[in-house]
Amino acid sequence: MVQQISQEELQKIVKSVPMLSPSASQLLQITAQADHDLVDVVKLVRNDANLTARVLKIINSAAFGLANTITSIDRAISYLGERIIVGIAVGDSAGKLFEKELSGYESADGDLWKHDLRTAIAAREVVTQSGVDISSELAFTAGLLHDIGKSLISDYLQGSVTDAIEMITTEEGLDYLDAEEKMVGFDHTQAGYELAKAWQLPEELAEVILHHHEPANAKEEYRTLAYAVHLGDNIAMLGGFGTGSDSMRYKLDQNYTDYIKIGPKTLATIMLNVDIEFEKLEGSLKSSGEEN
Amino acid sequence: MGQIILGVGDYGASNSPGDDVKTFALGSCVSVIFLDPKTRTVGMAHVALPDSSINKAKATDKPGYFADTAIPALLTQMTKFGCDKRGKGMVVKLCGGANVMDTNDTFQIGKRNALAIKKILWSYGMGAVAEDLGKNYSRTVSISVSAGQIMLSSPGKPNWQL
Repeated sequence: MVQQISQEELQKIVKSVPMLSPSASQLLQITAQADHDLVDVVKLVRNDANLTARVLKIINSAAFGLANTITSIDRAISYLGERIIVGIAVGDSAGKLFEKELSGYESADGDLWKHDLRTAIAAREVVTQSGVDISSELAFTAGLLHDIGKSLISDYLQGSVTDAIEMITTEEGLDYLDAEEKMVGFDHTQAGYELAKAWQLPEELAEVILHHHEPANAKEEYRTLAYAVHLGDNIAMLGGFGTGSDSMRYKLDQNYTDYIKIGPKTLATIMLNVDIEFEKLEGSLKSSGEEN
Repeated sequence: MGQIILGVGDYGASNSPGDDVKTFALGSCVSVIFLDPKTRTVGMAHVALPDSSINKAKATDKPGYFADTAIPALLTQMTKFGCDKRGKGMVVKLCGGANVMDTNDTFQIGKRNALAIKKILWSYGMGAVAEDLGKNYSRTVSISVSAGQIMLSSPGKPNWQL
């Protein structure tokens, strides 16, 4: 049954979502700062015994195929990179939100996490392959979090899929964001932004969550990051990893070329690298999450 | 009675009447389908990118991933079922190759995949008799080996036949 959500109800939904763990929250804060140091990340992970154990387990899992067991957390973190540490902490802390079945989009449980992970990997690849001067690690984190709003509004969108698609196909210029807003009163970027505020995420991450489909509207200082995630999101969907009914039913902002330059060949390389990296990460991150 | 599920870059074939050959959620990827009426064999490749020159190692590891290596690999696979090695007499169908909305040239990867596949097919003197390509939605494909029937599905749309 499709249901309109009032502003008040949205706040209630946001409040019902568990807070991020202190480690995840602090990691997001630290890694969003341009001048942070990997030492800060190490210090934080050290103080969280569960997270330390998790990181060591993942680095020594079959997916990374290391000849020798790594027992030092410093080495594990510098090998994996801070984005993977953030991925582990966020995945463990908000796993339920990411693993939730998005029935309002006719999407199976686990699809959102896969889509988010693909977007994260693709956004990072977009940054590294284009050589644009922003943090590729932050692009990964922003990609991971960009669609958190879908979990919040999915239940209210139940039964809306046929109408939503009908609306987009018959009315010129509309995309799935418009459909969401018409159906329940909010789209997933607005819902995600409310959660970002409640979680006190750094401003750049909140901005990307709000503007990942319309990156031109992001604040100037975060706009390139928003474009990177915008492209990463589209690459994830083209690669066959959307979240059900809305996949590929959003507009590509062609002005991305003012911020990020990639040609067809680079795009092909990005798509291939996303497949390779996803295969490696999905198995190892998932196997850790399932034990929780 | 089995299901042969093909992931990205996989290819496979079957002549067991109870089997279904299936691939999930094609975005810009294209599914190349070969139906051989003589041997009643169904083959499919889930092609992700047009050209293997960007990564030869990947092409060796997973020939189904690229248009130029997928088609020879699938044909070779089908000779194991007695099919002609150059695809003579086979019925070819294509689906997938979707785009996002308001796409630009660079992002028309689905279109480039379809075009690359058609070029390779032409070099074998083959051509698709039916196709469901482009647009902006994902497609799941299922083929029953016994009937040679191809069913497509996408969230929010009634299933359709190719």
